[in-house]
Amino acid sequence: MNGNEVLVKVGRASDVPGICVSVRDGFRGRLAMIACSDERKTASGFALRHVFDVEGADVFIVLLSRLNDGKLGSPPSYPSVALLIPSATLYEREIKDMFGLIAEGTPDPRPLVLHEQWPEGTHPLRKEYALQTKQPRVGDRKYQFLEVEGEGVSEIPVGPVHAGIIEPGHFRFSILGETVVNLETRLYYTHRGVEKLAESLSLDQAVLLSERISGDEAVANSTAYCQSIEKIAGVEPPLRALQVRAVCAEMERVYNHVGTLAALSLDAGFAYGYARLALLKERMMRLNEEVAGSRLLFGVNRIGGVNVDFTNQSSRRVVEEMGAVRADFERVLNLLRSESSVMDRLSGTGRVQLESAVEMGLLGVAARGSGMDCDTRRDHPYGAYRTMMTNARQETRRQVTEHMIQLAKAGGDVLARFETRVEEVTSSTEMVKKILENLDGELELKTLIAEDKLEPFGNALGYAESHRGQTLHWVMTGEDGRSIFRYKVRTASFANWPAIELAVLNDIVADFPLINKSLDLSYAGNDL
Amino acid sequence: MTERESAEEAPTKKAADRGVGHSDGILGNHVETDRTLLEGTRSASCFRGDVILPPYVSRLDAELYKRGEEVCPSKAIALGPEGAALDKGKCIMCGMCQQVAPRAFKTVNSFALPVTTRRDLLVAQMPGPGKEGPGQTPDEVGARLSQRIKKLLGRSLAIREVDAGSCNGCEVEVSALNNPVYDIERFGIHFVASPRHADVLLVTGVASRNLELALRRTYEATPDPKVVVAVGACACSGGIFGDTYATSGGVDKVVPVDVFVPGCPPRPEALLYGLLLAVDRVGPAAPV
Repeated sequence: MNGNEVLVKVGRASDVPGICVSVRDGFRGRLAMIACSDERKTASGFALRHVFDVEGADVFIVLLSRLNDGKLGSPPSYPSVALLIPSATLYEREIKDMFGLIAEGTPDPRPLVLHEQWPEGTHPLRKEYALQTKQPRVGDRKYQFLEVEGEGVSEIPVGPVHAGIIEPGHFRFSILGETVVNLETRLYYTHRGVEKLAESLSLDQAVLLSERISGDEAVANSTAYCQSIEKIAGVEPPLRALQVRAVCAEMERVYNHVGTLAALSLDAGFAYGYARLALLKERMMRLNEEVAGSRLLFGVNRIGGVNVDFTNQSSRRVVEEMGAVRADFERVLNLLRSESSVMDRLSGTGRVQLESAVEMGLLGVAARGSGMDCDTRRDHPYGAYRTMMTNARQETRRQVTEHMIQLAKAGGDVLARFETRVEEVTSSTEMVKKILENLDGELELKTLIAEDKLEPFGNALGYAESHRGQTLHWVMTGEDGRSIFRYKVRTASFANWPAIELAVLNDIVADFPLINKSLDLSYAGNDL
Repeated sequence: MTERESAEEAPTKKAADRGVGHSDGILGNHVETDRTLLEGTRSASCFRGDVILPPYVSRLDAELYKRGEEVCPSKAIALGPEGAALDKGKCIMCGMCQQVAPRAFKTVNSFALPVTTRRDLLVAQMPGPGKEGPGQTPDEVGARLSQRIKKLLGRSLAIREVDAGSCNGCEVEVSALNNPVYDIERFGIHFVASPRHADVLLVTGVASRNLELALRRTYEATPDPKVVVAVGACACSGGIFGDTYATSGGVDKVVPVDVFVPGCPPRPEALLYGLLLAVDRVGPAAPV
């Protein structure tokens, strides 16, 4: 046990798939992450941690298994769980690239992170691989896309450099006329070696790195990182610091949701709606700057607390400005909802059914838009949300019922995700107001962590609900307790990317930008 | 709230009462940018836009600089025989150095200015007071840009943005140039969908190894004369991600760069400034 983490040591790796299924079926566990770490020198072999998020309880189940080097030169291997739990596929591909471990029986053994021009046998997260290694480019391999055959089927390759101001990724559409019959995504163009780099940074420096995992989720990711270190040390930041964290996290949610809604309006061909909403995003970003000294809220978090604070005056200013933004937001929304040309584009487009969403383990807005009831702030209450979220949703019987009806209505299409975001802009604004009006009087903003608090190889999960969904970080400290041995990050984008391949099916190519935007996936947060 | 806001409120209410559509309800078809958003340079007093090395620290007081060097996550501070030097191309404006050695490092709210050579981003301890920020509004910079573009090109300036492995922070700021506040199109600048239509490549990110080839091809596809603007600490030097197995330590390691815009991320005004420098570099070969 480690707080809300239940550690199960599995003696034989071959038992893991069976136990995974029991956890999924018996505890309603959702596979939340598979973290691998190279502990050959420090413990024994490679360690695999299958982390499950238990539905309806504040519990994570961690299945720990160890593998030693394979027999005589063959790489170490472990049984795949991908055929039982489809969302495991991507983790297993990632582990194969980064550690060179083979998942036996995996349905998709293709490389993921390291593109074809990397020499075979490159495994950056193994301890013997130096961070600065520069490897030659090889040109003899080719990535195998799924080929769709048949009369009239053609392919459209898009990217990695896109037409808009967005991040890089490659999309391979197979189309029949206008209709998409298959889409395959190829990502990892923005792979910057975040996890490996963290192993060379101090604990404090890694906070800044975590902010830059995905620039627009700086607060969420750094909160998750800081929480895992705080959990290892058994230290809790002062209440006021937790409140400041929550306020900044909600401000982040608002400016990003407003920005996404603006882009949706633009992609639906309604420039006026875009202009009005983009203006509100700019106002929010200026407010961010006043609060944190950065338009993207960089520099809010530190281990054990925060770097920024609110005075009476600045609290009032934030509440007032966000109130004004919200008032204008509602006006624009009235307009958008009465434009049939916009609503027609959103409605019924890019549908993700509830069953598929559950199967893929979707998170955040993408999941809630399909009717899944998940929100890390409520399911695994952390920081200031411990007292906020349970009240907000489960106060009365009637509210619970209303919440369930709301979820049941969610159609899983672009419109449903649009409405989910709208609702969150409102609820986040209210939450900010509520927290700022009840700021704790304590002036200390950080709890110091004593040298001996961080034991060698201590490890813990940290998590937060970003505007995209749950971001889950697992940190293991180094031998001295002052460095990082392993930093595993799984953002909501990693979990949600597969949704897009499903959402576009049977829609037309022209709806792709709209669907893509409605899911609001981060490439950087996925590629690391 | 401003007068405009309250003026908006009234017709909305009336329209709702009468139960009519939006066309005369919400501002009609008339959009007015809130001009107050543009007045002054408007960076908040706590904005971390630049780091300066105050002159009054004795060069012998190396201890302070050493603390900064140790804490800097992007290795932007280097101690040499001449004292400390700060590489603004690497600096991510986190302010950690100021936290540990406030006497030797100071963050200021004017943004670091874009430059045309990588060397110009290296600053030693300042002999006098710090260089003043540009102190101009986006409108003023834009007006200068617009004149320059008209004179040099006789048409608008076309930009292709390339994300070469950024954290998407720079993308947020580049897209902000399109919002009604900065509204970059009014200066005769627009973002185009293909490098084949572009004069300027605006490149963000570390030039990741996985994207290196695509970046090179994008550069080759851009017709001459072309200008490459490296946007943000990552594009200038690798930033916090540095030079590792996955990155190349700056866009200039992959394609020639004409303008470096420091910052993490650079604010939209800094981008406008960078473009001002970039236009001059298109100059000579462009038809007059």
